[in-house]
Amino acid sequence: MMKVSTLFFLLHYLLVGQTGYEIARQVYQKSNPEDLSNTMHMQLISTKNKIRSHVMKSKSIDGNRKQMIWFLEPKDDKGVSFLKIEHIGKDDEMKMWLPAFKKIRRITSKKKNDAFMGSDLSYEDLSSRVLDNNKYERLEDQILDGKDHFVIEISPKRKVSSAYEKHLSWVDKKTFNIVKEISYDLKGKIYKEKEFVYTQIKKYDLIKEVYVKNIQKNHSTRIKFTDIMLNQNLGEDLFKEKNLKRIPFD
Amino acid sequence: MSIKSISSSIQKWFISQSLNHSKRSIVISIITTLIIGSGVQFLVIDDDLMKMLPKKLDSRVSWDAVQKEFGSTEVIFIAFGNQNQSIYQKEILSDSWELKKELKELPSVESVINISTSTRIDNVDGFMEIADLQEKQLLNQDQIESLKKYLDKNIKLKKKLLNKNETFLLTIVQPKTIIGLDKFRNEVVSVSSKILSKYETHYSGTAYITGSIPQLIREDVQVLIQIGMLIMVSILLFNLRSLSGVLMVFMVIVLSLLAMLGSMGWLYKITGSEKFLFALLNTSMPIILLTIANSDGVHVVTKFFKEYRSGKTSRESINEAMESLLLPIFITSITTIAAFLTMASSPLEPLVGYGICISIGIAWAWLLSSITLPAIINLKKWNPTSKAFISHSIFENFVEYLGRVIVLYPRYIFSIGIVLFLLGSTGIYKVIVDVNLASFFKPGTEIRNSMDFMDQEMTGTMDLRIRLEAEMKEPSVLRKVDSLQYFIEKNKSISITSSISDVVKKMHRTVMNDSAKYDNIPVEREKVNNLFTMYAMSGNVEDFSSMVNYNNSIGLVTSLSRVMSTEEVFLFVNNISDYIKNHFNDTIKVNITGMIVVIRDMVTLIIRSSAISIIFSLFLVIMIASIFFKKIYWGLLAALPLSGAVILNFGLMGHFNVTLNHITAILSSIIIGVGIDFAIHFISQYQKLSKSVDRENLSEETIRDVGYPIVLDAASNMGFGALIFSSFVPVQYIGGLMIFAMISTALGTLIVLASLMEILKLYLIK
Repeated sequence: MMKVSTLFFLLHYLLVGQTGYEIARQVYQKSNPEDLSNTMHMQLISTKNKIRSHVMKSKSIDGNRKQMIWFLEPKDDKGVSFLKIEHIGKDDEMKMWLPAFKKIRRITSKKKNDAFMGSDLSYEDLSSRVLDNNKYERLEDQILDGKDHFVIEISPKRKVSSAYEKHLSWVDKKTFNIVKEISYDLKGKIYKEKEFVYTQIKKYDLIKEVYVKNIQKNHSTRIKFTDIMLNQNLGEDLFKEKNLKRIPFD
Repeated sequence: MSIKSISSSIQKWFISQSLNHSKRSIVISIITTLIIGSGVQFLVIDDDLMKMLPKKLDSRVSWDAVQKEFGSTEVIFIAFGNQNQSIYQKEILSDSWELKKELKELPSVESVINISTSTRIDNVDGFMEIADLQEKQLLNQDQIESLKKYLDKNIKLKKKLLNKNETFLLTIVQPKTIIGLDKFRNEVVSVSSKILSKYETHYSGTAYITGSIPQLIREDVQVLIQIGMLIMVSILLFNLRSLSGVLMVFMVIVLSLLAMLGSMGWLYKITGSEKFLFALLNTSMPIILLTIANSDGVHVVTKFFKEYRSGKTSRESINEAMESLLLPIFITSITTIAAFLTMASSPLEPLVGYGICISIGIAWAWLLSSITLPAIINLKKWNPTSKAFISHSIFENFVEYLGRVIVLYPRYIFSIGIVLFLLGSTGIYKVIVDVNLASFFKPGTEIRNSMDFMDQEMTGTMDLRIRLEAEMKEPSVLRKVDSLQYFIEKNKSISITSSISDVVKKMHRTVMNDSAKYDNIPVEREKVNNLFTMYAMSGNVEDFSSMVNYNNSIGLVTSLSRVMSTEEVFLFVNNISDYIKNHFNDTIKVNITGMIVVIRDMVTLIIRSSAISIIFSLFLVIMIASIFFKKIYWGLLAALPLSGAVILNFGLMGHFNVTLNHITAILSSIIIGVGIDFAIHFISQYQKLSKSVDRENLSEETIRDVGYPIVLDAASNMGFGALIFSSFVPVQYIGGLMIFAMISTALGTLIVLASLMEILKLYLIK
């Protein structure tokens, strides 16, 4: 029986190649480090080319499902910190430390489409995609910057609340990294264009730069990640309210 | 060569072109007119009040700066609902959602504000939660209750979104700045009327009114020209009793109109200047040129008829008529152009374009009357036995009678004229200046009703914008803004004010466990920073985009008010200016603008513009008439009837509560420009006849000679009466006042000027 099914899949792969779902699975199931620390340099560029810059320190575990962010710059934001814990099947937990008030405040995750810190990335963009929450369709392969890419169409399933109708993702055939993505709003109009640049540290492909352009608002965001460190044995204990009040040195 | 011989050569050249090259003259003038007239395709109708202001005026500079930073402040307000039916119902809230959704789809729409786009900031179990006020299109009863509860608690937001009785919802639609307001208005109304068909709907706001006006102007101009021409043709036909004669005058009018409108289009196309936009006040242009061109044509045709009636051949009659008329028609055209060109000195942009383009039209009418019209008369085979030549018309008989009476009782008639003038002029002190758009529409019209509804039921639509250049996160700045809003709201006409201070206060209270004690601006800058950061994390910073700029270095305080009278506007703006001077230091740059300030500035500009126009144009016409008649006293005499008419006009405006605004302000230029013609024709003929007629019969002969064309001209100028049918109240006033001005300048010439000249004949004719 095993032999028959193996033969069937082999035959299927040879005849039609990988399906969209299979490509997506390979993308999402790529191994992630146990934990990740970095410094995020975020630049927001307005329609009138005015720039706002933020620098944040981030630590995360579990493929970013638990993340702590401390604001370092600009001066106005310094000391503010943010804790996010994603839950499957219920609202994410998001808390902020407001040093001037000496208070921790929970913030809503109701408006998932809202921009994170005025950037072009929404909380939905920042959340990890769950493989079975979307439908995948493989489109014709394309060459991008001289490299061969899969192109897959990712559409959130009806039961999933999303600000997007679909995404077109360009997946590097060698690394299975998404290097480019075009997202469409619920009316089917192009909403955002995203570009990703990776760096390889140890055996992991880690994003070192993201560029997002909101086509409809003509506003863009560039995030560069520096001081990337991984597998530092960050324990679950770090992701507690009490740690919001302290900016880590490393 | 002497000036006299040059003048004589020019006259001969003109007459020769008409008589010896009739067909060539006609063809050239028609082709040239068509080339100029083709500019009509570039004519742009736009009645944006802001575009009328000089670009360097403080309120215009601030307005432009606000538009650049925060997008258009000229918006459309849509109020919809049903009387006695609460808005807290599933269906109306769903329609409001649908309306927002559809409007946002329009290419001309920048943003939409209504209940479904608003945000709520709640304290939930001690935590701050930012969420949509209406979280989805179809709400259940609990969600509607929660929405109601929130609005009841947040009175300012409630005031902004619905009316006092909670029966109407408000939607505010902001256009993209590059879009024409008429296109924006049409798109918004088209979408809204489909969705809101089952509700009582009111549209208002500057963008709606400004956007509606081009269509109203188009309709208005078409109707007015038709009625004006009908009146004119009827009166001419009744008196000239010659269809050919009337059609010839008509041709001069039509070609002049085409040249004027075409030149306006070309000038806009070439210069791109807002001076050459066709605005509401330009509505009177075609009718005014119609009367001026008619005046030239009538003088030529009646003089030709008079000469032809005396037994001369057609060619001799034309020659004689043009020898008499070329100079006076030229002088009247020059003086009328001079009067209208004084508008070029006006600080109001469209008045400059008005003056220039109508001057082109007048110059064209002069050319057509001096060459083309006699050329056409020359080509026509006239029947000397027709009624037009064998009998006198009613006006001719009336003028002959008038001439006899004036010669018999010159002093009585002059005294009666002076008494009437003094009585009328007492109203000058009662003249009110008012440029409020609401008063441009009659009560009962759709636009006016909607404006009144917005004033009585909603927040009103007149805006005041205060732009601040300062560090908008600084608590001291936010507190000053808060105090300024408190000061503004003390005025009873102000319904609502909004700024970033409101949001900071609301967030502060929410973060501090919804305690009313913290419904204020935090003392420390760090706390304000934290509130902004928290909002950026939990809401959308774009929610602030109508209140602070991207870098929080420019803030905007917006207040909406009900319609205020001009006096109230002056007092209010002055009070705010004083408050700002006394409470804001040099580190905060504050500018005030918005429709309320525009109204104040317009009033000042209109008074200045009217004064400059009257003084300058009177001076010019006196100078020109003095030069042509070679003595300064002739110039002064020529200006006498129209000076009286201008003073009487303002007196009547005061007596009949006709307000002075940017549309009625052009009246004085029109009266001077059109009124001078009568006096010039009279004086010119008086001087000419003085060489062949004895002093005793001079006045009577002059009245007999030019009295008829003057009376016929004035009567046919009753075409101004067409303006009474305008959709705009000020244009209607112009119609009424111009009829009076025509009568007063014509009778002023034939009665007051003629009797004065009869009294002074010993000094005038040596």
